[in-house]
Amino acid sequence: MSQNDKNRRFIDDAWFHDFGQGLSLTGGRCPACGQTYFPTKQVCPSCFNAEQRKVPLSGKGKLHTYTRSHMGPAGIQTPFTIGFIELPEGIKLFSLLTQCDPWDEVLSVGMEMEMVIETIREDEEGNEIVGYKFRPSRGASS
Amino acid sequence: MRAVAIAGIGGIRFGKYGDRSLRVLGEEACINAIRDAGMKPRDIQAAYVGNLAQWEWGQGLLIGHYVLREIGLTKIPITRVENGCATGSNAFHEAWYRVATGACDIALAFGVEQMTVASSEKILSVFTGRQHAERGGDMGNSAPGLFGLLARRHMEEFGTTREQMAMVAVKNRKYGSMNPEAQLTQTMTLEEVLKERMICDPLTLPQCCPRGDGAAAVVLVAGKLARKYNPIPISVAASVQVSGTYPDDRSYTFFDTDVRAAAAAYKMAGLGPEDIDLAEVHDCFSVAEIVHYEDLGFCRKGEGGRFIEEGHSGIGGKIPVNTSGGLLSKGHVIGATGISQIIELVRQLRGQAGKRQVEGARVALQHNGGGFIHTDTASCFIHILRK
Repeated sequence: MSQNDKNRRFIDDAWFHDFGQGLSLTGGRCPACGQTYFPTKQVCPSCFNAEQRKVPLSGKGKLHTYTRSHMGPAGIQTPFTIGFIELPEGIKLFSLLTQCDPWDEVLSVGMEMEMVIETIREDEEGNEIVGYKFRPSRGASS
Repeated sequence: MRAVAIAGIGGIRFGKYGDRSLRVLGEEACINAIRDAGMKPRDIQAAYVGNLAQWEWGQGLLIGHYVLREIGLTKIPITRVENGCATGSNAFHEAWYRVATGACDIALAFGVEQMTVASSEKILSVFTGRQHAERGGDMGNSAPGLFGLLARRHMEEFGTTREQMAMVAVKNRKYGSMNPEAQLTQTMTLEEVLKERMICDPLTLPQCCPRGDGAAAVVLVAGKLARKYNPIPISVAASVQVSGTYPDDRSYTFFDTDVRAAAAAYKMAGLGPEDIDLAEVHDCFSVAEIVHYEDLGFCRKGEGGRFIEEGHSGIGGKIPVNTSGGLLSKGHVIGATGISQIIELVRQLRGQAGKRQVEGARVALQHNGGGFIHTDTASCFIHILRK
């Protein structure tokens, strides 16, 4: 996010990195044991190796489960939809779901989803807080 | 490890006590437990207190010392513990460990919490924490959300129904109406539970435990002293604590912590699920109770919905579960919840449970999950008690 965007900021700057093709969801990979994780960590939680590589995560995955929440934190309008996404890298990711209304007709367990970078909520000062969400995949229509 | 028994129990009714202090609530439960054990405070050699937070203003300090000083219990080691929603069970486990290892003969465990003094937003904020932004409240996460997600996956894989989940609330509210220490005492029909306000699909309001204020205390003694203090001592056959592994490579339909803690507890007690006469399990949400049936081996994986529907978890069934009314009726009074579960089981094993008595109960299991990180509970405690 450019520094000119004073009213927009990421929840966590470490989540996204430009590997040359725009911003990607960014994880860590341990060169010693091959474990991939999100977000990046100080050491590999599998083997305690301190060296880790930033790697782009695919940003696509399968919907493991989902629900419609009628309660939640200040700044996110209810109701909203959440889910766990299974990334091909073997990571389960908690995420808000978007562009999926009516949620109980559009969504199904196992469907292909893709990441979008969007405003998650507004903070108390009116800043837009940005993170990832997932929507039904538009690439491979069934 | 040597034998340990429960000599005294002391609860107070869970509810809204905004006009009383946290300290006074704790005192009342401790006084009740020490009296029940037929002791004086000076008999107690160590104390553990469970208290997650002082919700209106932050982390408190010395709550155990404040409470016990008022009732004349000083000098001894007094320690506060925190372990998410299993905070009370952790206090019990530590007191058990201190007696079981021979470090002392008599220990007090109590839990106290006062949650109605804080706003829902404050509670949600503390619960979701700020340590893992990717799963924090700022990303839309919440406890009801996590259990709504669990419910959907369980429905998808095993055909568990909305009605079966709602039946957990109906059952627990029925037993809550028979428990003088429960917060919610109105029974509800299946239709009423299903029609209530949706919190996180498919969980309606009565399928989500309320919060509350209260306290609970027990006195543990070395087995050799048990009969000196109580004519019906209840022995601790297993006391197990595990922490989560937060796996990514599993279906989100069970708790790895539950399964590992149950295996360890059954091994320690030399018993199996077939020996359990009744249980108190962590029904923070209706679906959680169904998953715990499976994880604890009360039924096979995927059959939890049928287990409630066929009446196996009701009084008169195979393994009556949450005869206290559970968290769904008592409310989740975090620091006190685990010890309150143990108190119900002691009452049942003593034959003092009144209208909700499980006839002939000799072996009982308590289960308390603590906190939630990613795909698993952060901690899990299981205790098996025996008459």
